[in-house]
Amino acid sequence: MTMALDASISGIIITDNTQQDNPIIYCNKAFEKITGYSRKEIIGHNCRFLQAQDRNQEERAILGKSIAEGVECRVEIRNYKKNGDLFWNELYMSPVKNANGEVTHFIGVQNDVTSRKNAEHDLRQQKLVMENRIKERTKELRESEAFLSSIIETVREGLLVLDPNFNVLSANNHFLRTFKVSKEETVGRQLYDLGNHQWDIPKLRDLLVKILPTNNPVVDFEVEHDFPHIGKKLMLLNAYRVEFEGQFKDQILLAIEDITERREVEIRKDDFLSIASHELRTPLTTIKGYVQLLERAMPQDASEKFLSTFGKVSVYVERLNSLISELLDVSRIQSGNMELHMAQFDFDNMIAEAVDGMRTTVPGHQIILNGQTGAKVLADESHIAQVVSNLLSNAIKYAPDSEKIEVNIANVSDYVKVSVKDFGLGMSAEDRKKVFERFYRGVEIQKKFPGMGIGLYICDQIIKRHNGTLWVESEIGKGSIFSFTLPKAGKETNG
Amino acid sequence: MDKKKIMICDDDEGIIDVLEMILDEVGHTVISVNDSLKVQAAIDKEQPDLLILDLWMPRLSGQEVLKHLRKHSAHQQLKVIVISASRDGEQVASDAGANQFIAKPFDLNNILESVNALLN
Repeated sequence: MTMALDASISGIIITDNTQQDNPIIYCNKAFEKITGYSRKEIIGHNCRFLQAQDRNQEERAILGKSIAEGVECRVEIRNYKKNGDLFWNELYMSPVKNANGEVTHFIGVQNDVTSRKNAEHDLRQQKLVMENRIKERTKELRESEAFLSSIIETVREGLLVLDPNFNVLSANNHFLRTFKVSKEETVGRQLYDLGNHQWDIPKLRDLLVKILPTNNPVVDFEVEHDFPHIGKKLMLLNAYRVEFEGQFKDQILLAIEDITERREVEIRKDDFLSIASHELRTPLTTIKGYVQLLERAMPQDASEKFLSTFGKVSVYVERLNSLISELLDVSRIQSGNMELHMAQFDFDNMIAEAVDGMRTTVPGHQIILNGQTGAKVLADESHIAQVVSNLLSNAIKYAPDSEKIEVNIANVSDYVKVSVKDFGLGMSAEDRKKVFERFYRGVEIQKKFPGMGIGLYICDQIIKRHNGTLWVESEIGKGSIFSFTLPKAGKETNG
Repeated sequence: MDKKKIMICDDDEGIIDVLEMILDEVGHTVISVNDSLKVQAAIDKEQPDLLILDLWMPRLSGQEVLKHLRKHSAHQQLKVIVISASRDGEQVASDAGANQFIAKPFDLNNILESVNALLN
């Protein structure tokens, strides 16, 4: 029997519970091995000696109760080896009763479960670390969501998110405020059913329906509608398929911008500039008239200086007049109100007149006109003549030390092509890129020739509106060639 | 050139002055009206050979003056030169039935050429 108990790898002890303080009366080899104590150091002691100073463990109460009531129990308790090392003791205690049913002994079976406990502990630690990480990540997500939603709620643009059936998934504050609607009457309803069906516009339906299948956004779609509470509004709509981490979602973001006021301001600005330019031109007309009257009354013996001064007044009157026109043009181009009066005209004639006009204004320059097209062109003649005159006056202005300007005209396919070549300052690659931008002035140019930087912008816009192209080739110190092409048959599309 | 009677209708005294001077210089008789509301009566009274008419005038625009002249007046055939500083003036003038349009600021030679062309 003892040999069998000694062969067990579990530590086994027997206590005598008939004696005071329940001393250990038996321990096997394995118990000695687990605890590091020898038999003589064990026998006669109460089991608690294994707990050393670690006396406040909850498991003690379970053990106490088990002994008092004479029932079996199982605990995992921190015990300490002789050398002081902690080990986790998985302890089974089972009472032994005599014929009268009185508890006489307890058998304790112990297993060192330290490595299992450590693994459990590690696992718990691991879990804790993971939980913390998830908490952090969640916090970050919440923060970025809060960040995002603060942006969404702050933008001065109504935003709706739609599902594939165009039901509103969410609407931002600006949308609700703009259209004086509540979240309840918006979210969850179909876009086309909102309000008095103001968004039920066939063209908008067509565009929105194509977004999910094609990923084609709706860009700058203008809608004018009379809204029940807020009156007539002009809206600019943009719609995109929602994209998240490179993946398209089955959601549409619809952005609605109220451009009513902006458009009104643009129109007012146009009106103002129209009136201003008209009012500026009236005294200019008078000045020009008086100058011409004086010119007619010029005495025969007037000095050269007198005559050339007179000539200069006329040049500056013309310059002031073209500045006034340019301001008006820019405003109209910006607001999309530049009107083209398309009519067929003799292209070579128009060019010849523009060149002659310039020859009269600046007799000191030699303008050579090469080629002919024989073409009848459908375009806005006065606008095209304006472009040619502008290119010519630039060629004169930016080539102060050269008196020669070459104008070449030719047929190219179903276009006419005009090139104006000067032998002046030329321009850098950077200037070439930006020269057609509104209000752009080359740094060097601005020092020598102040101006507003709108002439070439207007030219470019006029040629573009005719579906032609205006471009420049240039080299610093050698001069520039400005060329444009113009479709003879007029622009293919109206608008 | 025959001496003709030319009426000028413009709300700007400077323009009237310039036109009077040049037309007087070449020998025409010039009558000026600076209030467009009075031009119809002036035409009836003076029976001019030609009217030089501004477009953008307070109270009654040159466009309205011209439309009325072409529709209702006994002077439907009166030669009219429209002068204007508006960019769309040419279109407005031709729609309203002007014989000629000259943009402001104009060249006095253009004025004289047009006047001659219309009167002869």
